[in-house]
Amino acid sequence: MQNILEELERRRQSARQGGGERRIAAQHAKGKLTARERIEVLLDERSFEETDMFVEHRCVDFGMADQKVPGDGVVTGHGTINGRLVYVFSKDFTVFGGSLSGAHASKIVKLQKMALQNGAPIIGLFDAGGARIQEGVESLAGYADIFLQNVLASGVVPQISVIMGPCAGGDVYSPAMTDFIFMVKDTGYMYVTGPEVVRTVTNEVVTHDELGGARVHAQKSGVADGAFDNDLEALTQIRRLIDFLPGSNRDRPPVRESYDHPDRDEPSLDTLVPSNPNKPYDMKELILKVVDEADFFEVSPEFAKNIVTGFGRLDGQPVGVVANQPLALAGVLDIDSSRKAARFVRFCDAFNIPLLTFVDVPGFMPGTKQEYGGLIKHGAKLLFAYAEATVPKITVITRKAYGGAYDVMSSKHLRGDVNYAWPTAEIAVMGAKGAVEIIFRAEAKSDPEALAAREAEYKERFANPFVAAQRGYIDDVIMPHGTRRRVIRALRTLKNKQLHNPWKKHDNIPL
Amino acid sequence: MFSKILIANRGEIAVRIIKTARRLGIKTVQVYSEADADSLAVEMADEKVFIGPPPAAQSYLLADKIVEAVRQTGAEAVHPGFGFLSENAGFAQRLADEKIVFIGPNPHAIEAMGDKITSKKFAAEAGVSTVPGYMGLIDDAEHAARIAGEIGYPVMIKASAGGGGKGIRVAWTDAEAREGFGAVKAEAKGAFGDDRIFIEKFITSPRHVEIQVLGDKHGNVVHLFERECSIQRRNQKVIEEAPSPLLDAKTREAMGAQAVALAKAVGYDSAGTVEFVAGQDKSFYFLEMNTRLQVEHPVTELITGLDLVEQMIRSAYGEKLAFEQKDLKIKGWAMEGRIYAEDPYRKFLPSIGRLVRYDPPKEGEHQAEFGDYVVRNDTGVREGDEISMFYDPMIAKLCTWGETREKAIDSMGRALEDFHIEGLGQNVPFLSAVMDQERFRSGKISTAYIAEEFPEGFHGLEPTPFQQDLMTAVAVCMQRTQVARARRAGGAGPIEREAWRVSIDRVQREVRVFVTEAGLDIELPEEGRSVRLESSQWRPGEAQFKGVLDGRVFTATVRAGHDGFVIRHRAAEAHVLVLTPKVAELYARLPEKVAADTSKMVISPMPGLVVSIDVTVGQEVKEGETVAVIEAMKMQNIIKAERDGVVKSVGPTAGDSVAADEVLVEFA
Repeated sequence: MQNILEELERRRQSARQGGGERRIAAQHAKGKLTARERIEVLLDERSFEETDMFVEHRCVDFGMADQKVPGDGVVTGHGTINGRLVYVFSKDFTVFGGSLSGAHASKIVKLQKMALQNGAPIIGLFDAGGARIQEGVESLAGYADIFLQNVLASGVVPQISVIMGPCAGGDVYSPAMTDFIFMVKDTGYMYVTGPEVVRTVTNEVVTHDELGGARVHAQKSGVADGAFDNDLEALTQIRRLIDFLPGSNRDRPPVRESYDHPDRDEPSLDTLVPSNPNKPYDMKELILKVVDEADFFEVSPEFAKNIVTGFGRLDGQPVGVVANQPLALAGVLDIDSSRKAARFVRFCDAFNIPLLTFVDVPGFMPGTKQEYGGLIKHGAKLLFAYAEATVPKITVITRKAYGGAYDVMSSKHLRGDVNYAWPTAEIAVMGAKGAVEIIFRAEAKSDPEALAAREAEYKERFANPFVAAQRGYIDDVIMPHGTRRRVIRALRTLKNKQLHNPWKKHDNIPL
Repeated sequence: MFSKILIANRGEIAVRIIKTARRLGIKTVQVYSEADADSLAVEMADEKVFIGPPPAAQSYLLADKIVEAVRQTGAEAVHPGFGFLSENAGFAQRLADEKIVFIGPNPHAIEAMGDKITSKKFAAEAGVSTVPGYMGLIDDAEHAARIAGEIGYPVMIKASAGGGGKGIRVAWTDAEAREGFGAVKAEAKGAFGDDRIFIEKFITSPRHVEIQVLGDKHGNVVHLFERECSIQRRNQKVIEEAPSPLLDAKTREAMGAQAVALAKAVGYDSAGTVEFVAGQDKSFYFLEMNTRLQVEHPVTELITGLDLVEQMIRSAYGEKLAFEQKDLKIKGWAMEGRIYAEDPYRKFLPSIGRLVRYDPPKEGEHQAEFGDYVVRNDTGVREGDEISMFYDPMIAKLCTWGETREKAIDSMGRALEDFHIEGLGQNVPFLSAVMDQERFRSGKISTAYIAEEFPEGFHGLEPTPFQQDLMTAVAVCMQRTQVARARRAGGAGPIEREAWRVSIDRVQREVRVFVTEAGLDIELPEEGRSVRLESSQWRPGEAQFKGVLDGRVFTATVRAGHDGFVIRHRAAEAHVLVLTPKVAELYARLPEKVAADTSKMVISPMPGLVVSIDVTVGQEVKEGETVAVIEAMKMQNIIKAERDGVVKSVGPTAGDSVAADEVLVEFA
């Protein structure tokens, strides 16, 4: 009997060895942790339960029959983050370079199905060399099986991918279909085709990092939602993110006790909006001063900085915050910011996370670059996302809410539940100058003085929140310093909000 | 007494004057520029009068506007504060002509002391010691050596027209004097076209000591002892104290007597300051007299118990001084630290902007393990106010009082810990560093102190063993509070682990944590001792962590990092992580990410708008050439190349906004 028990331990030991000491040392030398070490950091101590530790590949071609490593290049299982269940798979670069075999894929698919059934997030840690070429089409089939599960799980359980090593070719599409992608700087990179192919096909010479490094995706392409300095930072931040999210769309996001008084006034917010309407200010200051304990998990902080997205809490209740950022491009809506915010809004709506929107938007970005890029359809994504969202929606207009962008930013007309404006708000079709130049086109040419008077008149008439408030488009004009108190109260009234969209197979958002 | 006075100034000094006026039952009128419409001073004053656009030349410096405001409001007197019109004899005369009382000295005294040459003449006649020197023209090198010998070495040989470090030589011997004369003469001729030379005594390692005087309109003058203001940066006072650690009673008496003699000689009838340069040997020489209230006057108030603004108002009203010299005594020691909107970590570059957080220490009496102390904070701003480019970038004057110099320094250290500012760069960590320096504490200071002690600039100090313990305890406490709550929210049980490892800037130590009723006991098994953290009321979200570590009261500034905390105590800041032993082992394996090599990059020193990028890819650029122009706070900042190079890439284009540290141009 003892021998049989010892055999289990021996096999476990062997599986934990992964690709062996030499490869583990190589992994460390690159500044990376191993698959199991990453899980150790990610999960609560001693909470990890590994599944399919003994799975091996079934390939017999190209001498593969002699090369079998239990686990087959991916560690799968579940554990807890601050007590809450999560499913994890972690690619093991030390085993066949983490490449994907049929067996490897089935382990992930099994995990995805369990997560979907049990209503818990899936976290994928990527560090792998792509398909197991020796297996041919079986490997491709494996990819597709995973993709399908990604799609089925989308909107049901949160899916998070962390790119901590290479992630290329077929490997990129599974993360691409998850809710969030985070990357580790210098070690993580992702692209559809690597530098060698790029060079052969287009003669373009480019490094891994320039083609698909963390900075590229977090700042330029927007593929990644954040980039971190090392494995520990990335995994610690995933733990922080999970604390904001429900296990599935069947749950509400977890409420935690707040150490921050719900009635806290912030007198300094009364001077946040500068007296000069063309001077920018930092919208993040407002966010940090309104949410609990200034604790704000920003999503895509480096991409499309003209809009800020992220998670915070109001009296312990998680909310998704969307805010125009006057510091970047005056907070204008353009292709990138519309895409970024639309995706975030849809995530929140899918997972019952109320939306708090701060508006200071001068309109949509003009120009051929934007129009040729399809601003119409990209801008429509954000409009669509806000309109279809049925979670509680609270909006505060701090300054400009001009034109179509006013409509888009969670306006009353798109079923905003509680819409507030600061006294500094200007809700209008456009700025006063532009408006009078159109209305009084004739005067504009002949009499600049009269035009200035018209501009002042227009400003007096429309550069305030009261015209909108008179029509009920704004529920109340509030003092900036009381913003936290007012939005928390509003959120409480929406606790049992029920709103359903008409039945449909699915909508047809302008992709 | 006056029933209403007008304050022809702004900011903290305006607030300070209003406070005294209120106490005396005098109504106040505050004039203000567009930039100050919502300022604290305007809010506090009984009446306000708008006087123009932000630039001082179009508002606070316009005598007409001030006089008009006086007329409009019926104020009887004007307090000019310091700067602006405070030392403008014409303005004082104008008020006199208009029968408005100027709360300051009479115009003749201002005029006499306003001119460097006349003031020296007055000083010499009043028996005030002036720097020995020869003002006449010097014929040749021999003549120079002879005069230098008479004055006594070391001497400074200076071109009359000299300035900016040019045309100046210090000589320690006859040979050097001869040589220096020739060199300076040649340099002066070349640089200024004026080769007149003079020689004066050179004071090595000079100190700045000044005497506060106070006079009335009845011919009485007393002195309120000295202040030392040797801690200066680019001739800007940063730390001041009273009394001076240099002076003994005899020197103090001598300096005081000379200052009073000078004040009497010019018929001085208000608060004023006679500035001296002093040698380490306690020799002292007259520099100039400031005919106004001095920025650093609070330290004098703290050691004498007098209110100088009140005294100025009383004298201006015609009251006699209510005391004589013999009634005045020094009580204790006072320090002042000027808190500026400047970034000490970036060569003290101005860092104006919004005070996102402004939480000064509580004023009044405090107790600490080193004794009782008093905190006073003179400021004109509140949280959410803007430190504007139009005026002096001073945020506050933090003053402390203790029974001895040591206690005053310790109090300043403590008060600085409690000063929390966010949103712009500020010099609190720098001031803290000075308070903790042995040389400063020993009193062996000079005007070259900052240049000598921080030759490479300021980069913070390494944490001391006490600070390492403090950071350990603070991080452990914060981590426990946060994790325990997260676990409650997630339905997990309490934290059971005792053994942790704490990493302070990647140096790890083992700790065992025990929760006690008063706080935490943290055992350090590797060192065979433990530390005790008590009285911490810290809650997540608070930027200041207050507590008592092993009996010592402290405040640390804390913020979250991606994987731990950034903790600052005084001038030491570190990245602190609390990890399980297993994760600590893994962390130790991760390579330290060294900051990217920026020597090949031109980086935006501030957030702003790119006005122009003046180079293109492939262009050869020489050191000092303009690379880009960034507009920040309406100021165009020319960004120059710090080295030669060929442009490899250009980041932003004109019209983009850039963040601080954003790469503008990269060299190959």
